[in-house]
Amino acid sequence: MMLLQLGKGMIVSIEIFMLTLLFSLPLGMLVAFGRMSRNCVLRGITKVYISIMRGTPLMLQLLVVYFGPYYVFKIRISNSYRFIAVIIAFAINYAAYFAEIYRSGIESMPIGQYEAAKVLGYGKAQTFFKIILPQVIKRILPAVTNEIITLVKDTSLAFAIAQAEMFTMAKQIAAAQTTILPLMVAGVFYYILNLAVAAVMERLEKACSYYR
Amino acid sequence: MKLLEMRHVKKEFEGLQVLKDISLSVEEGEVISIIGPSGSGKSTLLRCATMLEEMDSGELLYMGEYAARMQGDKCVYAPKGERKRLHRYFGLVFQNFNLFPHYSVMKNITDSLVSVDKIPKKEARERAVKLLEQLGLSEKQDAYPYQLSGGQQQRVSIARALARQPKILFFDEPTSALDPELTVEVLKVIKALAKEHMTMIIVTHEMQFAREVSDRIIFMEEGIIKEQGTPKELFETENERVREFIGHLAGK
Repeated sequence: MMLLQLGKGMIVSIEIFMLTLLFSLPLGMLVAFGRMSRNCVLRGITKVYISIMRGTPLMLQLLVVYFGPYYVFKIRISNSYRFIAVIIAFAINYAAYFAEIYRSGIESMPIGQYEAAKVLGYGKAQTFFKIILPQVIKRILPAVTNEIITLVKDTSLAFAIAQAEMFTMAKQIAAAQTTILPLMVAGVFYYILNLAVAAVMERLEKACSYYR
Repeated sequence: MKLLEMRHVKKEFEGLQVLKDISLSVEEGEVISIIGPSGSGKSTLLRCATMLEEMDSGELLYMGEYAARMQGDKCVYAPKGERKRLHRYFGLVFQNFNLFPHYSVMKNITDSLVSVDKIPKKEARERAVKLLEQLGLSEKQDAYPYQLSGGQQQRVSIARALARQPKILFFDEPTSALDPELTVEVLKVIKALAKEHMTMIIVTHEMQFAREVSDRIIFMEEGIIKEQGTPKELFETENERVREFIGHLAGK
């Protein structure tokens, strides 16, 4: 019974995790481009955005995204918005972190790679996607792994707006049955999820290790 | 036929005049070495010729076609498409190779042929195989750059430049990152190219090599061409400064 409920919660946690990655990984790339843009307005906006996302608690961001529409615009929030709010908050928060990782990777590329590509006639897009990006991915994988592992654990913050993910469920059951066991089981689940994440990322790193 | 013409090229970096009115024209089949102390503007000249750097003023022509021209007192570059076409006329070999580390030797050579110049894969491979054979790298076609010595990497980068069949090949201190032994193997390749009358402009500190391989040597200092002529003329010049420089580097 307890395991069943926790299992349901875990599925929600995994959904949050997957959807956050799905949106924040590409969104982070856009933010990184904005951050490195020659347009100083765009650069300024993305800089402030990243600064706020990294400088304030994710839990607070969750609350703002969820309750903001009501408090600010007096829009009645429906129950189905809860999950959407979780995904929005996580995606824009993690996009900021990923953007900085992308930027560090892109800026660490030697200028000679761009120059060699230019002399060989590659266009800007070709240079980025064929020459730069594959090398950047290899460079940033360890940092991305860190971030993804943090995300697994951060999904528990959805508790703040009562999203019924694994941590919320564990706490409910623990309170109802006055036992710590559900929290321990949830802990084991998070741990196993992260083992899986680490294993997948290790394989990716191996796949990129054919060159130096 | 003038392959390359540079007229009154000027370039400054943050107030520092690196090139002060340099003119240079290159005939088909000519091998030109550019020598001079560091900071003399040699590399900048090469980077302006290969459009990695934009001139502040001056004109740049390949095969009589303008890559950049003066309009009034402004230097105007040809539109992007035009410049891209002119890119096919030349190749550049860098001091530190700049091979693509994630591509095999074969792909380093063929990728731009296939994805930029739209040459069929099979033909690109054939070209690469032939070049690698010429440069003694046949066994290395599936290796990655990190698995090669510096000399081998530089030879691959020469092959990569040659595969596009440029009219003119620039070398920016091609042996400065190599130890003496590896330097020899790269210089041998360049000498062989000179024998086949490949048009080349070589920025180098290797005096003996410049003397052997060049039709013309240019001595640059402080952003101007101080002296130029055949190797014989330059090595026997009356110009005190050039003598001193050459003597110093030739170890005399």
